[in-house]
Amino acid sequence: MITAEQKPVTEIINYISPYRRILLVGCNECVTVCAAGGKKEVGILASVLHLHFLKQGKNLEIDEITLERQCDPEYVEELAPHIDRADAILSMACGCGVQTIASRYKEKIVFPAVNTKFMGASESQGIWAERCQGCGDCMLGITGGICPVARCSKHLLNGPCGGTSNGQCEIGPETDCAWRLIWERLKELGMEDRYEEIMEAKDWRPSGGAGPRKIIREDLSL
Amino acid sequence: MGFQKKLTKGEFAVLAEINTPKGVDISELTMNTRFLKSRIDAVILPDMDNGIMHMSSLGSGAIMLQQGLEPLIHVCGRDRNRMALQGDLLSAHILGIQNLLFVQAEEMANSDHQDATPVNDLDEKGLIHMVKSLNSGKDLSGFELSGTPDFFMGFAMPSILDDTQLEKEMEKAKEKIDLGARFVLTQPVFDLDFYSTVLNKLTPLNIPVISSVFLLKSVGMARYMSINDPNCRLSEDIITRLRKSKDREAEAIEIAGEMIRQLKEICQGIKISALGWEDRLPTILDSAGL
Repeated sequence: MITAEQKPVTEIINYISPYRRILLVGCNECVTVCAAGGKKEVGILASVLHLHFLKQGKNLEIDEITLERQCDPEYVEELAPHIDRADAILSMACGCGVQTIASRYKEKIVFPAVNTKFMGASESQGIWAERCQGCGDCMLGITGGICPVARCSKHLLNGPCGGTSNGQCEIGPETDCAWRLIWERLKELGMEDRYEEIMEAKDWRPSGGAGPRKIIREDLSL
Repeated sequence: MGFQKKLTKGEFAVLAEINTPKGVDISELTMNTRFLKSRIDAVILPDMDNGIMHMSSLGSGAIMLQQGLEPLIHVCGRDRNRMALQGDLLSAHILGIQNLLFVQAEEMANSDHQDATPVNDLDEKGLIHMVKSLNSGKDLSGFELSGTPDFFMGFAMPSILDDTQLEKEMEKAKEKIDLGARFVLTQPVFDLDFYSTVLNKLTPLNIPVISSVFLLKSVGMARYMSINDPNCRLSEDIITRLRKSKDREAEAIEIAGEMIRQLKEICQGIKISALGWEDRLPTILDSAGL
């Protein structure tokens, strides 16, 4: 999923302080799972903002809505009846949701309330870690299901660097060496020979090197 | 007299752009520049121009110095991050390269290494800010430098289509000048009347403007430019003149020479691009009376 973290409240306040009527929009997908921008977080942020502006003698009107998916124009359409009442929109979705709203409601300013972080998985309760950088040419089939692009600090494709120590990355003990994980996994699978294969210079075009990416499925297009 | 001194004193500067080799054979590079010494003020050295991997502008700049020519090197953010850029610029300064031209690089997608990952750590203003910081004795992280460089930097302005675009470019140019850019290089001129009006409107920038002249090597090239880059305002008259000429090479050189002579009256410097015909540069200079 796409992970996110709420922005510092002071930054959000700076964004919305010129406005009085705010449409605060959450998303039921990824940001709900990583507890950054779901219905619950929408409620909490609305209360925080109310309190802040009340202390300043300003009565902020906040419409709270949580959409099924903010990155889907079909669901973003549901905001239409509420748009006229708002001076500005505050989105708690990832950057994809913010931009979907911005492209649908061009006459209204939309602000992000979260920082979109990475594509990751939950390691344990309250901990999410990066697992994929969307390089567009998945090599997990060769590396035993562990991604060197996302999990090696240097995106090394042919084994670890000299900085690996006791299975940890040199950037810090909290980061496992991806190539130690890959090697152990390949050993478990009896596929050590894959480690010997030399990976040539990676084609980074599918990773975004050739500009913004798009998937066009003609079989699904209307 | 150095390029920087000439520009600062308001004298006319002559620059020639030379492509660097794709390989380690520098004989053509040195041969083509041999006859330029004392005739031009600086050699412009692109860095992976048009996204084609070549010998870098840093190395070729050093070779130009060995040849007794002052280099002006391209700097762009596509291929290096701020660490590499700063390190290379310090190296450049030590080697004697002080003139920098910031350019927007061709997209990696259009390069001859399309599968490479583009860096783009710093944009053009970021690059100028970086050099300003180096010139003040600190790197981009604020750490003190041991010995402060003194770079002379300028930027390139795209072809101007109309007043609306010019206004936008003026805004961008002002920001770059505020950051420390000292000269501007404009795109190839084919329509002198229109360019004169643009040049007049650039006066408030209050920095030297260097105009560019392209050698139209063939009718095909001229036609291609006129169709694919209408902003360059290459007229049908010029194409016809080239097409009808009995000696098209001599005519192309004469067209470039004429343009340079006329531009000399209205701008503060000229950049000549021979686009692979660098061996004809002395003849172009003869034709221009330089």
